[in-house]
Amino acid sequence: MEMKLDPRTKLFMVLIVSTIVMMSATTPLLWAVRILITLIPLVLLVAEKKYSSALKFFLLYVTALVVNFVVLVNSDGGIVVSLLTGYCGIVVQFMPSVITAWYFIRTTKTDEFISAMQKMHVPDGLTISLAVVMRFFPTIAEEYRHINDAMKMRGIVLGGGNVVKMVEFRMIPLLFSCVNIGDELSAAAVTRGLGGTVKRSSVVDLRLTVKDIFMMALFLSAAILFIAVKYIR
Amino acid sequence: MDKSKKLTAKDFITIGIFTAIIFVVEMAVGMTGYIHPYIVAGYVVLLPLVCGIPMMLYYTKIEKFGMLTIMSVLMAIIMFVTGMGYLGAPLIILTGLIADLIAKSGGYKSYKKTVISNAFMSLWVCANYFPILVTADSYRKSLIEGGFSEDYANSLFRAVNPKTIGILVIVCFIFGIIGAVLGKKVVRKHFEKAGIV
Amino acid sequence: MNEDIINIDHVSFCYKGASKGLLNDVSLKIRKGETVLLCGASGSGKTTIIRLVNGLIPHYYSGDLQGDVTVAGRDIRNTELYDLAGVVGTVFQNPRSQFFSIDTDGEIVFGPENIGLPPEEIKKRFADVKDEMQLQELLGRSIFGLSGGEKQRIACASVSALLPEVMLLDEPSSNLDIKAMNDLSNAVARWKGQGKTVIISEHRLWYVAPLVDRVIYMENGRIAHEWTGEEFRSLGKQKIKELKLRPVEFDPNETADTADASVSEDAVVIRDMYFSYNEKPHVIRRRKFSDYDEKDLDLNIPELRLPKGKVIAVVGHNGTGKSTFFRGVCGLLKRCTGTITADGKVYKGKERLRLCYMVMQDVNHQLFTDSVENEVLLSMEEEDKGRCEEILDSLGILEFKDKHPMALSGGQKQRVAVASAIASGAKLLLFDEPTSGLDYSHMEKVGSLLRKLADSGHTILVSTHDPELIAESCDYILKIEDGKVESLTRK
Repeated sequence: MEMKLDPRTKLFMVLIVSTIVMMSATTPLLWAVRILITLIPLVLLVAEKKYSSALKFFLLYVTALVVNFVVLVNSDGGIVVSLLTGYCGIVVQFMPSVITAWYFIRTTKTDEFISAMQKMHVPDGLTISLAVVMRFFPTIAEEYRHINDAMKMRGIVLGGGNVVKMVEFRMIPLLFSCVNIGDELSAAAVTRGLGGTVKRSSVVDLRLTVKDIFMMALFLSAAILFIAVKYIR
Repeated sequence: MDKSKKLTAKDFITIGIFTAIIFVVEMAVGMTGYIHPYIVAGYVVLLPLVCGIPMMLYYTKIEKFGMLTIMSVLMAIIMFVTGMGYLGAPLIILTGLIADLIAKSGGYKSYKKTVISNAFMSLWVCANYFPILVTADSYRKSLIEGGFSEDYANSLFRAVNPKTIGILVIVCFIFGIIGAVLGKKVVRKHFEKAGIV
Repeated sequence: MNEDIINIDHVSFCYKGASKGLLNDVSLKIRKGETVLLCGASGSGKTTIIRLVNGLIPHYYSGDLQGDVTVAGRDIRNTELYDLAGVVGTVFQNPRSQFFSIDTDGEIVFGPENIGLPPEEIKKRFADVKDEMQLQELLGRSIFGLSGGEKQRIACASVSALLPEVMLLDEPSSNLDIKAMNDLSNAVARWKGQGKTVIISEHRLWYVAPLVDRVIYMENGRIAHEWTGEEFRSLGKQKIKELKLRPVEFDPNETADTADASVSEDAVVIRDMYFSYNEKPHVIRRRKFSDYDEKDLDLNIPELRLPKGKVIAVVGHNGTGKSTFFRGVCGLLKRCTGTITADGKVYKGKERLRLCYMVMQDVNHQLFTDSVENEVLLSMEEEDKGRCEEILDSLGILEFKDKHPMALSGGQKQRVAVASAIASGAKLLLFDEPTSGLDYSHMEKVGSLLRKLADSGHTILVSTHDPELIAESCDYILKIEDGKVESLTRK
């Protein structure tokens, strides 16, 4: 199934989902809306062949949902139970926006993102910064893995029980690395014309199709329904 | 080449990198909040302290107007997208702008102004509490319905409520200053000694 | 064909904040279509020349610039970097940090999009570059899943798509294996064939030496020698060695002695080391690795006897499990099984961390403190300043005792890491590509350091793509293929 959405549609979905997660679901109907807006990005992840992350999210979400409903109903205290429901509550509460944000980040290529931002008349500088933020998370993770390995070899993962050292030992090499990578990344980008005065062009031809409009309408009506049922009634 | 005060492509990349770092730190510290709600209130202490190091390094990197404003816009967007309360977003941008203006008045070189600027910049941490305050009742309800224990909600509201928010903001500001001073020390100890800045 | 495309006219340059200049009154003219090799020791000014031509000096790295640089009729000083993008293209040293996009396709079109070419033109160039450089299998992939060699191919393609007249390569092979270097050599040959002007700054010479028209030898910020390609190739091994250059000809020194070395007595023995990245799902308890199919294992070493007190080169293409092997040996892989026996003691699981120490390829990741001395003391169970000085002295870095490790050069940092390894009492030292990106004399130094460590009783594993290092400093060669030991031979 080919289901590529416009980055603008994806952004719209992110906005709607993050609005809805701020409000709690109190009736079965509201729960249905919440679950629906969580499942759609999951299905889209599958459509974009991100099977393993889709499966992981799905399992986590469903488990949390089940625990939340089943245990919460029969809950009569106990620290483990309350801690467990607490965590599951968090998952159920925020998972929808995490999944949607993940879907957006993992399926949007950098140049798609840049040209979508251009179409929305976001200033170039902001777009560059945002694109770098998106690109940099995996880099930080990669660097951190190496630093963690190095700390294990030195036996200083816990900083010798000193919290300040624990922070320092992680932060210092990470910052040195990030600054270096940043310098090299900038050099490589500017020698390829980033930051020029000409308007940037793009090979991705972004157009809102029927799919996009349908999806936006679906999410918008979900939000309206949610708010209407919850606050107006 | 100080030929212009305008931000260049390199600067925008640097802004992106440091925003990503601050956000990762925020996530790492934020995880501890689920252990006990008092830690949520403790963000105002922990985050400014830990972020002091990257922030003080960041202040030495660009030294142009816009560096903090854009960073705060990015923070606001990220907060928004990850569902962490967009009520606070305009506040984050506002404190970022103030921080930028203060740093600018010191030419991004003055140590004192940088410290004060960082204190304002740190206030974004408080913006996270905004939904707790504005929509206190419904937020409380949603927490409990969302699966948090009643204890958690009670403790959270004992720690964060309209009465304590003033204190939290002040504490955050103070630790923004302390974070900046300590961060500067670390920057001197490592980055200046190594000749990077 | 005889017109000069690059003219560097009496240029001196000194980086901002540096006390001594990096270039002293250098003049160099390069003709259109020429392929030029810049060689010489680290810090001799090769990279500075590259940066003069691509405009990073003075527009990105500021400093005191005297003299004029003209590239394709443009005065560099008065040309903005983005206006040079379609004229000069640069492939940088570090493949991991030169990508802006997170996917390969986006990276290739990144440059053309920046300079605002019409989409049809970009698509055409994309298709051309893809065919020319045979990139089919790399398209549509995430940058983070590529090997160093694959990243460098994409970097070349990305620069190629801008169709610059001048191609610059700044030590592009530093993180590559031999196969990837051959790919790079093909790319250079193609550009040469298209009549582009190519300038390569490099320490590893064998893969480009056959292609170059002219060779510039830099020394202390000046041009010390100049040869035609022909002259350079016939200089002879001895002369090359005197110039402190790496070999011009590839000498794979495949060990003629293919008989497996039997290591009987004094040995460090690795047993039952198994690991898989893709663990089979488990219901109640994890499946043992011994139940796995062989093809599912990323590390599969039933027994390996390493000769004690020797330097063992670990070879194999990138992606054949060398780094997994290293991390497994060190005890850094969580689920990796196996034991190491050394001096009659058996080390299991995390205990391996006490026996082993790895000097990482990017040594910056393993320096934590604010002085060389503290760095070493951090590794000691009980701080012993006397022993610390002893160790630093034996490595020749005692004079930097109070300096910040990050302020040192790459080679010195490596020694700091080695010093902390010795201080921690590690007996098995692993070096991950310690000589990538080093010039000949630094490589020699690393080689003698390895020997010295081995002679003092340490067992050394060193993964490397440098035949020179193997030839001069290693005793054994361990070949790893698909996570298995293919052979261990005496050199």
